[in-house]
Amino acid sequence: MRELAYDIVIVGSGAGGGTVAKELAPLAAAGKRIVVLEWGPKLAEAAYSGREVEMARQLYFDSGGVLTRDRTVTMAMGRAYGGSTVVYTGTSLIIPERVVERWDVPGVDFSDLEPRFAKYVAENNVHLLDEAELNDNNRLFRAGCEALGWRVRQFPINVEGCLGSSLCNLGCPNSAKQGTHRVQLPAAEAAGVEVVTNCRVTRVGEGWCEATVADPGFGLPSSWETGEVRITAKVVVVCGGAVNSAALLLRSGFGDRLPALGRYLTLHPALILVGEHPAPISNFHGHPKSFYSDEFLESDGFLLETCMYFPFTTAKNLIGFGREHSELMRAFERLQMILVLAVDPALPSNRVVLDGGGEPVVDYNLAPTVLDSLHRSMVASARVFFAAGARRVHAPAGVRFFIEREEADRVDELIPRSRVQPGKISVASAHLMGGCRMGRGPADSVTDGWGRVHGTSGLYVGDSGLFPQSSEVNPYLTVMALADRVAGHVRDNAGELLSR
Amino acid sequence: MLTMRSLPDKQAAFFEVVAETITPEVADLDAVGRERMLEIVDTALMDRDPGTRKQLGTFLGLIRLAPVARYGRTFDRLDPDRREAVLRWFEGCPVGLLRKGLWGLKAMVFMGYYGRPECWPEIGYAPELDGRAGVRRA
Repeated sequence: MRELAYDIVIVGSGAGGGTVAKELAPLAAAGKRIVVLEWGPKLAEAAYSGREVEMARQLYFDSGGVLTRDRTVTMAMGRAYGGSTVVYTGTSLIIPERVVERWDVPGVDFSDLEPRFAKYVAENNVHLLDEAELNDNNRLFRAGCEALGWRVRQFPINVEGCLGSSLCNLGCPNSAKQGTHRVQLPAAEAAGVEVVTNCRVTRVGEGWCEATVADPGFGLPSSWETGEVRITAKVVVVCGGAVNSAALLLRSGFGDRLPALGRYLTLHPALILVGEHPAPISNFHGHPKSFYSDEFLESDGFLLETCMYFPFTTAKNLIGFGREHSELMRAFERLQMILVLAVDPALPSNRVVLDGGGEPVVDYNLAPTVLDSLHRSMVASARVFFAAGARRVHAPAGVRFFIEREEADRVDELIPRSRVQPGKISVASAHLMGGCRMGRGPADSVTDGWGRVHGTSGLYVGDSGLFPQSSEVNPYLTVMALADRVAGHVRDNAGELLSR
Repeated sequence: MLTMRSLPDKQAAFFEVVAETITPEVADLDAVGRERMLEIVDTALMDRDPGTRKQLGTFLGLIRLAPVARYGRTFDRLDPDRREAVLRWFEGCPVGLLRKGLWGLKAMVFMGYYGRPECWPEIGYAPELDGRAGVRRA
C-alpha cells in the first residue's frame, strides 16, 4: 500500500466537499497540502451525451437505482467530480427558518446561515429564469395552481448560459449548471487543492484514511495510479453524502461510541405524477424545474414541484405495464409531470447499516404520516393537472390506470388512501439527509454544530449527513451553508489543527 | 443473437417472453432492436452483484412456473391475455417480495426498451442540446 501525507483530506466533491475545498483553498495557496478524494469519475465535456442509460451509469451509484433494503424506495445518488451537483436541476431554495429552529443545534441558527446562503446564491449565479424561457410543462403547473388558488413560486436556479436541453439530471451537456464541478472545485484547484477522481475512501480515522483508486472504464483517468493508498492527514473532512459518509464512519469503527451514527436518515420520499394533455406541450425542451407550490408544506407535509424526466425513468415510475402503460408512454410529448416530495420524520430506526461485506444498506420504513402525505399529494397533483387542462391523469394509487377528465371531481374517491402502500407505489429519493446528524452530544448525535465528530479533534463531516431532520425543501444550498461553517471552523483553527 | 453474460440462454430467452407482456412493442423489435435491448439489460445486470442476477433468474423461473397450477401450462405457453393476468397477479400480490420482484423485472424491461434512443421517435421524445426553440414550438 502506497503512503502519502497531506495536511487536509476532503472525502467527496459534491455540494459539501466542493464547498469545503474552495473555502480551504486559501490554506493551499499558503502552502498547505489539501486533497479532495472523489469516488466518481470526471467526464470530458463531450461525454455528456444526454442518453439516459449511458449517463446514469456513469454519474450515479448503481445507475441511480440503489434500493432500500426492503426495495420500496429507489435512491438516486450522484457519483462524479462534483458529486450530486452534476446531476441535480440546480434548484436553489433556502431552508425555512422554522426548520433550522426546530433542529435546535447550538450555534446553527438562521442568522448564522443567512449570509452563507447569500454567498452561494451569488457565487453560483442563482437567479430566476425569464418568462420566455419557461416551457409549457412549467407554465401549466403555475396555471393549475393559480386556478385552484394555491400558492405557487418560481424556483431560483443556478445556471449560466442555459440552453434548455432539459437534461439536467443527466449532467448538463452545455456546461450551464453551476454545480461545484463548475464553480467551487475549479477555484480550489486553481489555488492548489488537488482533486483525485476514481478514488474511493474505504476507512477513515483521526489523522488518516485509506483509499482505493480504480478505473471504472469511463471518464478521464485519475491523477493517481490504481491501487490502494494510505494517507496521513491532520484534518479529514468527510463529505461523501448521507449514506456513504455514515457508512464510511461505521466501517471505520465509530459506531461503537456514537450510537446515533447512521440513524435518523431522512429521504424526502418522492413520487413522479403524470397528466396527459390533449395536444403536444413543450416539456422536454427548456429547464425542467421552474415552479413549486408549498401550499401544503406545513399543513400536510408535502411540496409539489414541476419536473420532466426521461423515457426510462418515466416508464419505471408509472404503475402497471402492458397496453395502457405503452399508450401513456407514447403520449410523451403531451405529458405534464409533477414531482411530489414528502417531509419524513427523522427516526432512529431509519438508518444506514453495513452488510457482511462492509457495504451500506439502508433500512427505511415509510412512516404512516409519510404515506398520508403522499396520498394527499397525489390527489392535489391530480387537481393541478385537471385545472391545467389535462385530459386524463395517471395516479400511482388510482383505482384505474387513468382518471379521465370527466371524473375530475371524484379524485378523492378514485385515489383511495388504502392503495398507498409500500411496494405498491414507486417511491424515489434524491434528497438523502442525516445519518451523521449534528447535535449536543454523542448520545443522540454524531457531530457538534461545526461538523466535528464528537470525541475527535481533526475529523469532520461536511455534507447532508449533518441534517438533524429533513430540510423540508431541496437541500443543496443548506448543504453548502453547513459545509461553509465546517470549513470556516477548520480555517479559523488551522493554526492548532495543522500544527500537530 | 446476443449471448447475455448475466443470464443463462434459457433465462435470457424467457426474459424476452416476459418483456413482450410488460412492453408489447418488444414483440415488434427486429433482431437488432432485441439485441440492443438485451445488451442494455445485460450491462446493467453485470454492474450489479451476482446475488441480484441470481434473484432475477429465480424470479423468472417462478413466473414461468406459476401459471401451471391455474392454467396447466407454463407462462411461455399461455396466450397474451393469460400472460398479462399472471403478471397482474404478481403486481397485486399480498406477498411484498413478489410485488417487488415484479417491480424490479419491469424496471429491467423498461430500461432495455426505453433506454434505447432508437425508441425515442416512437414515443415522441426528441431532446436537443439547444432546446430554446423547442420551448416555443409546441
